[in-house]
Amino acid sequence: MFFHNFKYSLKTLFRNKMLIFWTFAFPIILGTLFNMAFQDIEKNEKLDIIDIAIVDNDFFNSDSLFREIFEVLGEENEEQLFHIQYVKEEEAKELLSEKQIIGYLILEDSPRVVVNQNGISETVFQSAVEKITQTSEIFKNVSEKKINDFIEEAQGEEIGNYNSWYAEIYENLMESLEEESSQIRDTSSENLSYTMIEYYTLIAMTCLYGGILGMTGMNQCLANMSNNGKRVSVSPISKGNLIFSSACASYIAQLVGLLLLFLYTIFVIHVDYGSSFPLIVLLSLVGSFAGLSLGIFVASFFQSNENTKVGIMISFTMLGCVLSGMMGMTLKYVIDKNMPLVNRLNPVNMITDGFYALYYYDTLNRYYLNVVSLLLFSFLFIGISTFCLRRQRYDSI
Amino acid sequence: MKSIVQVKNLTKEYKQLRAIDDLSFEVQKGEILGLLGPNGSGKSTTINCILSLLNFSQGSIQIFGSEMGPNAYQLKEKIGVVFQDVAVFEELTVIENIDYFCGLYVRDKKLRKQYIEDALQLVGLEEFQSFYPKQLSGGLLRRLNIACGVAHKPQLIILDEPTVAVDPQSRNNILDGIKTLRNQGATIIYTTHYMEEVEILCNRVIILDKGKIIASGTTDELKALAKLEEKVTVEVSDLEEKYIEEISQFKNAQDVTYHEGILCISYKKGKNNLVELMDYLKKEKILYHKIFSERPTLNDVFLELTGKDLRD
Repeated sequence: MFFHNFKYSLKTLFRNKMLIFWTFAFPIILGTLFNMAFQDIEKNEKLDIIDIAIVDNDFFNSDSLFREIFEVLGEENEEQLFHIQYVKEEEAKELLSEKQIIGYLILEDSPRVVVNQNGISETVFQSAVEKITQTSEIFKNVSEKKINDFIEEAQGEEIGNYNSWYAEIYENLMESLEEESSQIRDTSSENLSYTMIEYYTLIAMTCLYGGILGMTGMNQCLANMSNNGKRVSVSPISKGNLIFSSACASYIAQLVGLLLLFLYTIFVIHVDYGSSFPLIVLLSLVGSFAGLSLGIFVASFFQSNENTKVGIMISFTMLGCVLSGMMGMTLKYVIDKNMPLVNRLNPVNMITDGFYALYYYDTLNRYYLNVVSLLLFSFLFIGISTFCLRRQRYDSI
Repeated sequence: MKSIVQVKNLTKEYKQLRAIDDLSFEVQKGEILGLLGPNGSGKSTTINCILSLLNFSQGSIQIFGSEMGPNAYQLKEKIGVVFQDVAVFEELTVIENIDYFCGLYVRDKKLRKQYIEDALQLVGLEEFQSFYPKQLSGGLLRRLNIACGVAHKPQLIILDEPTVAVDPQSRNNILDGIKTLRNQGATIIYTTHYMEEVEILCNRVIILDKGKIIASGTTDELKALAKLEEKVTVEVSDLEEKYIEEISQFKNAQDVTYHEGILCISYKKGKNNLVELMDYLKKEKILYHKIFSERPTLNDVFLELTGKDLRD
């Protein structure tokens, strides 16, 4: 009897055009729109070399560290980050006012970046200067200490050894600066990866939207929710059997929707999920389970018609998506900072945060924390739903 | 005769409203029991209580000699229900709908296939097997609703107003199907507010109003409750007041009305009333178009018992 109900539940779900649109087509349409909207931005941001100027003064000429690192960052190759003009201060101001550059660096007692506005290019330029400043300070301190230590130890010995020590220190310093240059480039690229963030929220949204399938399937089993529910309630099938087979069918349908989204994003719009793809799939499976449990909860908890329940599901999911960064990461950070409980209880955020954890952290602790949170969320909602569904007879139908 | 359904002292209250008030009745094996009453009289509530869908305040319900409850699966296997509202899946074809609902009762696929064919034939939907519900007319949809409820060949069938808003052809088809089910040995509870259907189908009738039984018996027994015996209607134009006065003086005439060219005379007893009236019209040279005589209907009985029409 389980398979009989399971089979027909699948048929009704896959033939329901409204459900197919919201759970299968809508995420793919959104994915396509994201691809169209953000791909060009990302390409432009990645390909565009940032035009800057450096004021060619005595401070700059005497600071070999700044000179060396900007030479590397301005080298004409595939990884070139800056296009640098070495000019006098007046000329730099003029270039900035004419918008030929996004900003200029002037080294006086301390490095100073002059920009006209706050944009991504400006942020990259400023963060590059900050990193170089910090790194050069560290190495200056280290090298001075090493030299002083050497002088103390080498008192009375020949100066030739001092020269060899100095050469070694300088070599180490330059290697570190090379690494620093690469890091600046990598950080800049990471900052620009809007598309991946959008795709992660899209997957999270699909997981939660799958709850509509669970909710619809559940409504067809409940006598107080639908005419079909009345009919199956008077059949000799236990309520548990009906609900379980229906929930399984909803979950399978949900996974098919998710699979379609993955296939579409990978093979049609060429999203690269990277080496963490199995973990992304695992989190998606758990996220879909959470979506299903939410759908069952909405179906069993709210005593309203199906359209109202669909409205509740869509509103809840969309709000969760917005709070977790679908419309821009700023809101996620604001919520995380000021109202951390909201996002800790937001299942969409649990999914997206799990994805970010794969992207930003070396360890999987935060990822697994989100997986466990989602499971707890799911079991809590299933528990409440079971309590609501235990009723066998109704006061009114 | 074996009792299939026993309802004893059933009472159902919705906050201040008593929807069913101390209702007791039995349904015997092989009979069609009609539950007749206007909208809101408690017919559907009674059915939902019998099916254990609704809580009730007091009373007991036994079906096939056992207490009925939500988990009485062995009893449920023998029951088929056709609800007032159409309950089919829009996403499934006619044959898939019947297969799904029948499959909740019958596991054997081969047997089920035979049952589905019989159900299609019963309601005359053989040509519409692959149609989706949206493609069916209201009448055909009602027939599908019935097929889904009875395909598993239940011993007890509960039909809750199955002919509401259907065309005459579909209504006749449905009524013929119900007769066939009765002839196959099913016991049927049939709720309606159409007295013609009750008169055609039911062995016994219970008339409900405000959750109470106001009368029960065979249709003839119920008609005997009516004080009037005959109702004569005449189409006659421009009838003067003095003629109406004179007709009112006829020996058996109980009530005479004249409105928009229609003269209605209700008689207490029903012998030679029509002849007497025609002789009078001939004598007074009153021209008339149509004249016909009716026996009292269940609606007249209901009207007399409650003071309101069944379709109120």
